[in-house]
Amino acid sequence: MRYWVGAALAFALAIVQASSVSQFRVLGATPNLLLVMLVAWLVVRGLEDVLPMIGVAGVTLGLVGMQTPGVALLALLPVALLGAAREAHVLHSQLLLALALVAAASFAYHAVLLLAVFAGGGVFAPVVALRAVILPAAVVNVVLAVPVYALMRFAATPARRGALSF
Amino acid sequence: MTARTLAWTGFLAIAAFVLMGASRIAVLDPVENLTLNVTAPIQRGLRSATGPVADWVNNLTDASSLSSENKRLRDENERLQAELARAREDAIAQQQTADLDAVRRQFPQDTFLDAGVVGRESSGLRALIAIDRGSRDGVRDGMIVVSEGRSLVGTVSRVFDDYAWVTLITDPKSAVSAMVQESRAQGVVAGNYDGSLNMEFVGQGAPVKKGDFVVTSGIGGAYPPGVVIGRVSGVDNTEQDLFQTVKVDHLAALSDLERVLVLTSFTPNRLEGGR
Repeated sequence: MRYWVGAALAFALAIVQASSVSQFRVLGATPNLLLVMLVAWLVVRGLEDVLPMIGVAGVTLGLVGMQTPGVALLALLPVALLGAAREAHVLHSQLLLALALVAAASFAYHAVLLLAVFAGGGVFAPVVALRAVILPAAVVNVVLAVPVYALMRFAATPARRGALSF
Repeated sequence: MTARTLAWTGFLAIAAFVLMGASRIAVLDPVENLTLNVTAPIQRGLRSATGPVADWVNNLTDASSLSSENKRLRDENERLQAELARAREDAIAQQQTADLDAVRRQFPQDTFLDAGVVGRESSGLRALIAIDRGSRDGVRDGMIVVSEGRSLVGTVSRVFDDYAWVTLITDPKSAVSAMVQESRAQGVVAGNYDGSLNMEFVGQGAPVKKGDFVVTSGIGGAYPPGVVIGRVSGVDNTEQDLFQTVKVDHLAALSDLERVLVLTSFTPNRLEGGR
């Protein structure tokens, strides 16, 4: 049941990301609510819960978000690999862990998309891409992660909430 | 990571590559068209519902793009500048060789297909829009797209039955053969990740100055000649360089496009068209 809820949420979020969130420009970057939600879900609920969401979100974003199907899924996959960092308990504070993982996931997401653009014959200007898109997006996503994580933490069951710490 | 989560991750990675391969050979086109048909009304509703909030946030965080007044003035400015450029282009064309006149006579009556913008690429690394016209409406791969002010917006890069993707001129994969209208200096206008336009391969001796109009040259056959792209906003000509780099401000308000026109009367020759 929990997988179906997660998958439905991921599908809805991918559509919201492609239609609504893509209109926002903060510091010249588009926030990635979908990515932030996936990482927050990973921190609050664990890797096993987030994996089906990554699959649904990646495929949906590929179909409706004007990204080549498969590329969006590949760009979201580092979120799964970052799950290992959660399990390693490298940071005591769950909030700091969420922010660090959002920053890392944001860099990885854009790095995969940038490689796809390079491979497709796009202009090779990694410094411009880093300065104009990747860094601002990482900053905006980290800022967005604070309320999203807080919301998800308080929406968690009391037992699960007790296991988490800010 | 447990064996179970590792297997899941591996499965998703394989699925990603399978999807990329399927997309490359257009197997997924009907699925994409169906998904767009189903979700387009939802997306349109969400976009119009959150549009005012997005405008407010964008204005709050970006002082350079204030309010709809700015957009209206920019649209008006674009229309007037495009008219001015077209008038100049006509005057130059009349004075120049019969060859150029002959080229222009190949497109005596342009026909356009009106299209609404229904989507926008969301990662920020590409400059793509989706329009609500597809192959059923006569849209073909490579057709050029202009704004309502008739300045160049981009090229149709993917066509579904009811929708099409347009690669904007600011996209990092876009490259348009162009010339400076006043001096006729030729080059290639290319997009970049920061949304800027640079005209490359302009010879060091070519006279180019700020404010000059940049139009399509028609070389290669992917674009008709004389379509306005923008105006020169700066020139970088270090003597050691073989070419000067010309910065170009596009005329069309690419970030606020709501409606565009697909030029259906021009059949592009796929000798060029993008990197």
